[in-house]
Amino acid sequence: MKKILFILLAFLAVSCSKEKFAELNEDVKNPTNVPGETLFSNAEKNMSDQIASTNVNRNNFKLWAQYWTETTYTDESNYDIFNRRVPDNAFRTFYRDVLMDMKRSSELISANTPVGEDGLKVQKNKLAIIDIVMVYTYDRLETMFGNIPYTQALDVDNVLPAYDDALTVHKDLMARIDADIAALVDGADSFGSADLIYNGDVAAWKMFANSLKLKMAIEIADVDSESAAVKAAAEAAAPNVFASSDDDAVLDYMGATPNTNPLYVDLTLSGRHDFVPANTIVDIMNGLNDPRRDAYFDLIDGQTEYVGGDYGYSSAYDNYSHIDAYIMQTPTLGNPLLTYSEVQFYLAEANERGFNVGGSAEDHYNEAITSSMAGWGIPQADIDTYLAQPEVAYSTANGTWQEKIGTQAWIAFYTRGYLGWTEWRRLDFPIFNLPPAITSYDEIPVRYTFPNGEQTLNGANYTTAAAAIGGDLLTTKLYWDKH
Amino acid sequence: MRKITFLLAFILFVGVNWANAQTNTIHGTVVSSEDGQGIPGVTVAVKGTTVGTTTDLDGKFSLAVKPEYKTLQFSYVGMKTVDIALSGQTEINVTMESDVMQMDEVVVTALGISRDKKSLGYATQEVGGEELSTVKRDNFVNALSGRVAGVQIKANNNMGGSTNVIIRGFKSLTGNNQALFVVDGVPINNSTSNSSAQESGRAGYDYGNAVSDIDPNNIESVNVLKGAAATALYGSRAANGVIIITTKSGKAHKNGLGISFSTNVTGGWVDKSTFPTYQTNYGGGYGPYYSGSDHPGLFYYDLDGDGVDDYVVPTTEDASMGERFDPNLMVYQWDAFDEASPNYMKKTPWVNAANGPITFFNTAFSTTNSIAVDGSTDKSTFRFVYTNLYQTGIMPNSKLNRHNFGINASYDIAKNVKLSTSANYVHQSTTGRNSTGYSDNILSSFRQWWQVNVDVQQQKDIYDATGRNVTWNPHSATNGTPEYWNNYYWERYNNYETDGRDRIYGNVKLDWTITDYLSFMARASIDTYNQLQEERKAVGSVAGAFGINRMDVTSGYYRINRSFTETNFDAMLNFKKNITDKFNINAMLGTNIRRNSQSNIYASTNGGLTVPDLYAVKNSANPYLISEYESIVRVDGVFGSVSLGWNNLIYVDATLRNDHSSTLPTDNSSYMYPSVATSFVFSNLIESDWMQFGKIRLNYAEVGNDAPFASLYDTYSTPSPFGNIPLYSVPSTKNNSELVPERTKNLEAGLEMVFLQKRLGFDFAVYKTNTINQIMPVSISTATGYSTKYFNSGEVENKGVELNIFGTPVKSGKLRWDINVNWSLNRNEVLSLYEGVDNMQLASLQGGITINATVGQPFGTIMGTDYVYLDGQKVVASSGYYEKTTTSDNVLGDYNPDWMAGMTNTFTYGNWGFSFLIDMQKGGSVFSLDQWYGKGTGLYASTDFTNDLGNPVRNSIDDGGGLILDGVKEDGTPNDVRVAGNNYKVFGWSRNPNAGFIYDATYVKLREASITYTFPQKMLGNGPFQNVSFSIVGSNLAILYKDLPDADPEAGQSAGKIQGWQSGVMPTTRNVGFNLKLNF
Repeated sequence: MKKILFILLAFLAVSCSKEKFAELNEDVKNPTNVPGETLFSNAEKNMSDQIASTNVNRNNFKLWAQYWTETTYTDESNYDIFNRRVPDNAFRTFYRDVLMDMKRSSELISANTPVGEDGLKVQKNKLAIIDIVMVYTYDRLETMFGNIPYTQALDVDNVLPAYDDALTVHKDLMARIDADIAALVDGADSFGSADLIYNGDVAAWKMFANSLKLKMAIEIADVDSESAAVKAAAEAAAPNVFASSDDDAVLDYMGATPNTNPLYVDLTLSGRHDFVPANTIVDIMNGLNDPRRDAYFDLIDGQTEYVGGDYGYSSAYDNYSHIDAYIMQTPTLGNPLLTYSEVQFYLAEANERGFNVGGSAEDHYNEAITSSMAGWGIPQADIDTYLAQPEVAYSTANGTWQEKIGTQAWIAFYTRGYLGWTEWRRLDFPIFNLPPAITSYDEIPVRYTFPNGEQTLNGANYTTAAAAIGGDLLTTKLYWDKH
Repeated sequence: MRKITFLLAFILFVGVNWANAQTNTIHGTVVSSEDGQGIPGVTVAVKGTTVGTTTDLDGKFSLAVKPEYKTLQFSYVGMKTVDIALSGQTEINVTMESDVMQMDEVVVTALGISRDKKSLGYATQEVGGEELSTVKRDNFVNALSGRVAGVQIKANNNMGGSTNVIIRGFKSLTGNNQALFVVDGVPINNSTSNSSAQESGRAGYDYGNAVSDIDPNNIESVNVLKGAAATALYGSRAANGVIIITTKSGKAHKNGLGISFSTNVTGGWVDKSTFPTYQTNYGGGYGPYYSGSDHPGLFYYDLDGDGVDDYVVPTTEDASMGERFDPNLMVYQWDAFDEASPNYMKKTPWVNAANGPITFFNTAFSTTNSIAVDGSTDKSTFRFVYTNLYQTGIMPNSKLNRHNFGINASYDIAKNVKLSTSANYVHQSTTGRNSTGYSDNILSSFRQWWQVNVDVQQQKDIYDATGRNVTWNPHSATNGTPEYWNNYYWERYNNYETDGRDRIYGNVKLDWTITDYLSFMARASIDTYNQLQEERKAVGSVAGAFGINRMDVTSGYYRINRSFTETNFDAMLNFKKNITDKFNINAMLGTNIRRNSQSNIYASTNGGLTVPDLYAVKNSANPYLISEYESIVRVDGVFGSVSLGWNNLIYVDATLRNDHSSTLPTDNSSYMYPSVATSFVFSNLIESDWMQFGKIRLNYAEVGNDAPFASLYDTYSTPSPFGNIPLYSVPSTKNNSELVPERTKNLEAGLEMVFLQKRLGFDFAVYKTNTINQIMPVSISTATGYSTKYFNSGEVENKGVELNIFGTPVKSGKLRWDINVNWSLNRNEVLSLYEGVDNMQLASLQGGITINATVGQPFGTIMGTDYVYLDGQKVVASSGYYEKTTTSDNVLGDYNPDWMAGMTNTFTYGNWGFSFLIDMQKGGSVFSLDQWYGKGTGLYASTDFTNDLGNPVRNSIDDGGGLILDGVKEDGTPNDVRVAGNNYKVFGWSRNPNAGFIYDATYVKLREASITYTFPQKMLGNGPFQNVSFSIVGSNLAILYKDLPDADPEAGQSAGKIQGWQSGVMPTTRNVGFNLKLNF
């Protein structure tokens, strides 16, 4: 008996202390602590990837802006975003892969005790830049969906975040931008190379913040209750916006996967031929003799004139002009996030709205088009010719200022699908084509429906938010979309 | 490694010491009291020792005995044991009577403890090894299908693929829900090493489940422990039930050594009811929009430069919604574009292909050869078995080869101390498993994306002639780059995977009989393997997601090295004593130390291969990618049990186990759980002619469970760096440092009865299992910054009824008919998840389908878009197409069967035996992505019919074609809008909700049949053979009923929780072959 007890005790003795047990459960292959800057870099890349992509599961705005149409599988051109749960994917990317990393980055950087006064400045700059990018991201979410989780978002202790009123969010974001602009310390460093957009250039971020402020003011310019604030914000921002295309916020990609422009993945590496230019943009540019066509599109063998696929209809790839090879096949293609040309269109509009932002609507309109064309490599002489055409010249072009600015901005924003679609939503020009799935113009989507995941995982808040914006439909107009 | 060396050394030690030591021989015959015929297989043993033999087919035996042996014991299942005192006889003839009480049936229960079946207070069901090995399967688990009540076996048709084994329903929201397999006391790893992309139907290979390494030829018996009371001693990992396998051990033979040899040869053919029936009238294209010519479904331009426009097939289009066939219409097809083609620059008639996709499949072929050598002496037993399985699949270039070496040995190192071992070595290698899922899968082309004008054999011919990727799907006449699909022969011979596994599992055990009532057992066991998986994509392939980051590439190499080790150390002290004549006690105290470690390395090229055909990670176009995984889990358990029996009438069992797990927070890492089981053999109170046995049993058990590895603390994920800028990211799952053990509570009752002199009996069980406090990563709103968060909450309830009826309707003369019927019903319901959360998404799948755990619903709801209904009628929009719900959280079905049943009939007539097994499932739902896309692309015969106007539905509307969908307009009036039937929209995914493609998964299958002839002893005479039998066997012979068109409702991607969704599934293979068994 003694022997047995001895053996049993020996077995039991092998049991480890609790300390050692806990060590066994450590994940020895993944870090528990990382520099906050690395999360900022990752968030910037994720944000840019989502915006640049034309993957049908993630981002179909190049279709919805009617820049491109699909060749064979035309579901997304026909506004089916349910099959592939596109709203879920966009929502998830912005919250989980961009904003959460930004927030954690901010927390980690705040937690470090800065060294000396310079260190404090650098830390302040980093935190302000993070916040500016968060504002940019939230602005996109809020103009995409309407009401969104905001005050209760990014808090894993509250798994049922309530939705905030979109206008309230918008105003809060604008207040944050003001605070960020005030917080940026000129002449001090920030992220350095960990900032994939401006390489840590604080002055550039300051211009970015002011340009974003102008953009956000213009976005809600049709909301009557905000008119005074919009005017003030636009006028305050205008002197400090981008001064030239050199100031553009562009994320430059690399030559090797997985760090190429997502378009290169979607259009070249995929080996697929899913997209051709849509007749909507091709026809309009043909009508204006736009020299950017050679940069936007490629003729195919036997074509003498650019021909776009009928938007939303089946379009055999070999029967239509193609997307320009440079856009499709350049892995390092930069992704514009906010540009001088874009800002010039806003300034033109601000003039039309009677804001005191300097210059005239026509000056800014011409500057916007000129900088867009120059960016695509169009010679100055051709630009001048284009601007002189009566259909283009601001004084003679057709229609209201909304139609003039809307149409030219939309052309200039080619490849920036979300921006093009949003300008169409805001200014209601140009006139889009109807794909076969819908029968009337007011069926063209003017927002994303809330993610399916929100219906099932955050149901009560979803229901409240849906009711608050007037129904969770593709055709529900958002608060700023007055026409 | 030291452990393995020790194991092998021990095997040698036992083997060398095995020797003959016989002195005197006794002969005799054992006959039945009922018919006076010899009984084969009776165990003849020297009482109190392990020395013994078994009777041959005629009931004859011979045994060498030593003078000190006192008594011979004759035992046989279902017969009363007979003891004969030895007093120098040389011949002993015995007549055995049937033991209608089944009092002596012994079964192996948890931790390898043998128990009288009558004393058990819980349900077990045993299957003999013979039943499982007669009809050969590449995975023996598949042979259990339909044989055990309450056990759902779902094989998925992938070669060497994984099988889902679910006992009494899905219980765990996060675990894999698979039964635990235990071989000779050794828990055997049964993981599937399938990627999440594979399991969620994107793309990949089904690498099978690890339990398929077990050699069916070496199985003596399988015992299934279903409820928690039966498995409580195993602890948490057995919450899903346990399948206990006992391997064969050495027996005494009159020649000293027994040698048995068996061979099996099987052929397999596609069951055409599980493969598409294609329409034959329309060829490649998506609709009439390629040209403005008379044939708008074809391109029309001057291809050959003769100044006249030509009709050209739109070869980029992987659909058959194109131009109507017309043998007089001459067109340029894919085979006109490659110089190596006999039809280069030739037009050919526009007709349906002579050789369709069905001709792509080969006849499957498999051989199994097994040899076993065994023997025993008074001090030792020994059995060695080697089995080889070689199989080629129905896909070209697919083969599987498995070598199993097994040894069981024991040696009495002292009068009351026995050392024994069971050890197995398995080497498995596979080439060319079939792809699964939606992408990069030849079957998803055949079922979803195909041109029926393409002759598969012409694709073969041009691959054979050129070795190049000349596809039916080139980008254009002048650009042969594949658009979506490769030449499938090229793909099978160039883009194949290979994998291999080397595995050792076994144990060494010491049994020490201290006194007649006290014994001690100590056992060390190990299961360890190394596995290598290699995936290739040859230069020139269609771009597809590949490698670690799953970027689209046109070539690449991906390798995964996995190593796994589980060790268990067990020690048990047993106390067994009859306190009085009527009262006995059986108590046990033990400990178990388990350690699991896993180490994986994943490495892949990035951006493609630099040098073609060189499959090495360093041959990467961009810096290669690597990832590692490392985990250790340790659980220390202490357990005890007490069983009390009174007068063979009432038994009470109680167990208690405490586990201490390394995966739980230090403060909560120990958890204890009890079980109580009682049985009441009421037949012992009733003297009855018609009832021979009756027992009521009742039990309650709880089982605790720990957390998955490393789910307490957060770590950052590491995306590939951006050039030289390092990137880190907050992980998508929020871990939880406050987890407590989860718990399963199980209540079960049962009734067993045997009537009519054992001609009829049944075993009935009813149970309720609640799994609470589940440790689960709950999907949460991604606005939180995370996708999932670990919670300790949620409850899943399973309730069910099982019935096993067995009987012998005919038993007269040489004819005997046995029948065994299993029927089981399980209802599960997700009672709660997390407060405020009423849905947990288990998977999000192609087609917009999700698989979910939804509060108030059965586990595994299939959700998607539904029709919009008005007064029960489907609403059709003004466009003429069905309206769809804008939400996709509509429950369209769930994958749990309503009930399952199996019926085995066995007929014996003299030396002839005939047996067949019918296996069925009623209910359960499955979403077919194959129909969802394949009907859209116009592949199926169901998309080519005569419409209400009497015209082909695919005529243009102007030409009397099209159709009016059944339903009402928004105002409630009948739909009268005609929509086109000649493009991809009307029948498939584009304009229909998911609900239209949900099918009933009911099936009735003739699962197995076999005819066996055993050669009579007279015929064998004095030759070397003692026993020879020959069988013709078949499996998956016919699907007698199913609702799902063109596929097997059981087919799928992988074992696991993601079921009820099919894409590009393999057809079912009907297998027919023969067995030959020789015993020397």
